[in-house]
Amino acid sequence: MSSDKPAALIIGAGIAGIQAALDIADAGYPVYLVEREPSVGGRMAQLDKTFPTLDCSSCILTPKMVDVGQHPNIRLMTYAEVVSVSGEKGAFRALVRKKPRYVDEEKCTGCGACAEACRMHGRIIDTFNQGLGMRASIYVPFPQAVPLIYTVDPEACLYLTRGKCGNTFKCKDACPADAIDFEQKEKLVELDVATVIVATGFDLVDPATKPEFGYGVYPNVLTGLEFERLSSASGPTAGKIVLDGKEPEDVVFIHCVGSRDPHGGIPYCSRICCMYTAKHAHLVRDRLPDARITVFYIDMRAFGKGYEEFYDRVKHEGVLYRRGEPSEVYRRGEKLVVRAEDTLLRRTVEVEADMVVLATAVVPRADEAQLAESLSLERSPEGFFREAHPKIRPVESSRAGFFLAGCCQGPKDIPDTVAQAKAAAASAMVVLAAANRA
Amino acid sequence: MMSEKSKPRIGVYVCHCGTNIAATVDVEAVAEYAQNLPGVVQARHYTYMCSDPGQTLIKEDCRALGLNRVVVASCSPRMHEPTFRAAAQEGGVNSYRTEMANIREQCSWVHHDKEAATRKAKVLVASAVAKVTHLEPLEEREAGVHPGTLVIGGGVAGLSAALDVAEAGFPAYIVEKSDRLGGHVAELGHTFPDLEPTADWLAPLIRRVEEHPAITVMLDAQVEEVAGFVGNFEVTVLQGGQAQQIDVGTIVIATGYQLFDPSRKPEFGYGRYPGVLTTWELEQRLATGDLVVAGRAPQDVAFIKCVGSRDIQLGNPYCSRVCCMVAAKQAQMVRQALPETRVTVFYIDVRAFGKRGEEFYDEAREAGVRYRRGNVSEVYRRGERLVLRVEDTFLRRTVEHETDMVVLAVGMEPRDDTGVISALLKLPRSADGFFLEAHPKLGPVDTTTNGVFLAGCCQAPKDIPDTVAQAKAAASSALIPLIRGTVPVISETAIVDAELCAGCGMCVDVCPYGAPALDPLWGVSRINAVLCKGCGACAVTCPSKAICLQQFTPEQIMAQVDVLTV
Repeated sequence: MSSDKPAALIIGAGIAGIQAALDIADAGYPVYLVEREPSVGGRMAQLDKTFPTLDCSSCILTPKMVDVGQHPNIRLMTYAEVVSVSGEKGAFRALVRKKPRYVDEEKCTGCGACAEACRMHGRIIDTFNQGLGMRASIYVPFPQAVPLIYTVDPEACLYLTRGKCGNTFKCKDACPADAIDFEQKEKLVELDVATVIVATGFDLVDPATKPEFGYGVYPNVLTGLEFERLSSASGPTAGKIVLDGKEPEDVVFIHCVGSRDPHGGIPYCSRICCMYTAKHAHLVRDRLPDARITVFYIDMRAFGKGYEEFYDRVKHEGVLYRRGEPSEVYRRGEKLVVRAEDTLLRRTVEVEADMVVLATAVVPRADEAQLAESLSLERSPEGFFREAHPKIRPVESSRAGFFLAGCCQGPKDIPDTVAQAKAAAASAMVVLAAANRA
Repeated sequence: MMSEKSKPRIGVYVCHCGTNIAATVDVEAVAEYAQNLPGVVQARHYTYMCSDPGQTLIKEDCRALGLNRVVVASCSPRMHEPTFRAAAQEGGVNSYRTEMANIREQCSWVHHDKEAATRKAKVLVASAVAKVTHLEPLEEREAGVHPGTLVIGGGVAGLSAALDVAEAGFPAYIVEKSDRLGGHVAELGHTFPDLEPTADWLAPLIRRVEEHPAITVMLDAQVEEVAGFVGNFEVTVLQGGQAQQIDVGTIVIATGYQLFDPSRKPEFGYGRYPGVLTTWELEQRLATGDLVVAGRAPQDVAFIKCVGSRDIQLGNPYCSRVCCMVAAKQAQMVRQALPETRVTVFYIDVRAFGKRGEEFYDEAREAGVRYRRGNVSEVYRRGERLVLRVEDTFLRRTVEHETDMVVLAVGMEPRDDTGVISALLKLPRSADGFFLEAHPKLGPVDTTTNGVFLAGCCQAPKDIPDTVAQAKAAASSALIPLIRGTVPVISETAIVDAELCAGCGMCVDVCPYGAPALDPLWGVSRINAVLCKGCGACAVTCPSKAICLQQFTPEQIMAQVDVLTV
């Protein structure tokens, strides 16, 4: 990485952080790309297909992940967190905490022998797969991870939690590269950067906050993100839409779970759920041609390029769109029943289901407030980072030299996220160019 | 006869890709098989060829065994071709003498039968070996860059893009067709969701652009011609009857949109009844405070949404993205100006998706704006008043709504002159008529022409913050070649055999990038290697077989195919 030029720090390596990093690095400036998870990729890596073209998400994302992993101007710092950033525009100093992976990044080849050997193999809840699958204590989140380096989960590893793992470390014994190192310690790294892009993404609302939908009570009530893993070819069922070994005959989707709900949830619209649900409905139709599919909606918000056309297509594929807010999901015999007020029929209807998918609201990261404080950034009333002006300065933050990209500023879909990430990159380039001239 | 120096000495590297390939393909057997193929000096297999140890293996073999060609059997070339080309180059092998056999996506991932998959992997490797035998070394090439960006259109998108380019230290040229900057937005009184006067933020933006030393604003001007290629565009601009040439490295298209003409929906009575106006006209009326219809303030105002949008019959199936919020804004402003007036919005779906959009929609309803779901089929006069005939989808019956003013929320359409710009820069358009982006998800501002980028509503309808974000995104793409100072040029270009060329010009017609041209003196085709993208359209079109695409010559392709068809 060239060190004679001013550098940018990017916090978060989802598609927003990746795109911003690639633009800045392509222009010739050094970039530190810091990601707290073991791999780059973010939420997009968890998705199956993307609307409205049904491109496979990994197929379009992984080449970009590889690009950031190999770019001569990008220093990838995964499994690391930004602790604080001091200084001012043009001359920031960032403190980054590199968490111990307990695996030597130089030595690990990603062969996976350690995970096969791990005593906990197949017994740890796989968070990447939204808990639908199991993994070992030592893991890569998904096979296309960048970097392809294993990480010991400190909360799941027997040795790290209990101080003992049988008579011998199975993972260490299995590793042909001698890469496993339980002596690794956390490291603090200082970085001098001219500008910072915050691209920390979003969380999804906990569906248990809407107990009437039975999430957590009935195993066949899923969130949209769980459905993504279920329908993904690289997911726990290899893309088969099955629950408990059975293909559902009746599938019901519920929009706005937590969104547009100033009383029980959040007041705003999450912007992506209408379209990803349309995509889900299409995927069910595609894999299970005989399934009966119902979508409950309030307003269908198909506003992006090609979106209305996609919605039309899904309706023509025999997906029943019913306008109404479901009030309850309950069990009747073998089936679930979704009770809803159909606002067009003006009466209460009951729809049977074998699978209910909840389009849960996009909410700020659980630690957004903490991050806002440590980075001295202001937030909007709903909790996302606040842009400098809602119309004309959508990527500038409240702190000079800090820019916002992607869903940490508010919910948005992938094309809007990419555009905003590139916009943040442009603003960062202006700062970098000025610092370079100085 | 091949000289001793170019006699193939091939290394074959079979990747396990963890278990991705090795679980379905017997990689050891594939390597063993490859070892005996003609020209192969060394064949190996390894867990992850792309990993550092894997690449080191290749580099060391290249040097130690004096290899001059490399075949890697692993994943798709889209994934790791650059990786292995770089590894070969470091080992002293010309990077264009590498070939990949895709035994993952095209073999292990799509087959289950290990024996058959192994057989197929062997054939794919043999085919790659046959091709690599015939590959010639090519040189990496670069071209210089004119430091500057042309921005076509001086609306908010063009202004935002030009400012970023200029602030980063490069000249920006704004070519605007009309006699002022600001585009459509300059005619908006207030903006949602804060009801902020537009001039409060637009005027400073325009002033910054006008006063910026690196920005040249050309009003009443149009782009007449664009020649050249990324990094080296020569643009002819017509202004006041005078043509002038501007040399730039990159181009941002920010030509905007046009409003739907509601006279194409005659059932709404636009142009027939003075009380029927568009949201655009109401915007001007709200600015002047003149809301009088037929000599008095309206007692009832009705908005009709989706006029010209979401309308398959009209050929506009898409949503115009801003009209829901425009109607919510104007409805609130009418309520503020005329608190006694009843305001109703007829809608299909309310699309309040932007930041603070839903909250703003709630505020409209709190301000007394009534939202009624229904399709308006007709507007007609009854005495002094207007009547809307509405299919109320809640009540499930047709109702009549008497009103004094009907406001049509007109959608956005591609500008009539989109075709002109499209022809000028060879830009494809999507089915809706707007400019087509390079990739709907990951390339929202790029186009198929290198160095040309899209900003704002010329790509699809969008609101102001999304337009600004996209404009800045286009600026980012436009800045990359300017800051670098060079652009990479692909090496696998088409070349013409002048002996065989009959000068028919079919290659000129078929090329989407304007690379071939007929030499006026010799009457044969010449290909500008900087413009050529190596698509091969000319090579397959040429009736004399005078054009061939380097890396894909008939000899190379046939060698590859012959092995496959055994």
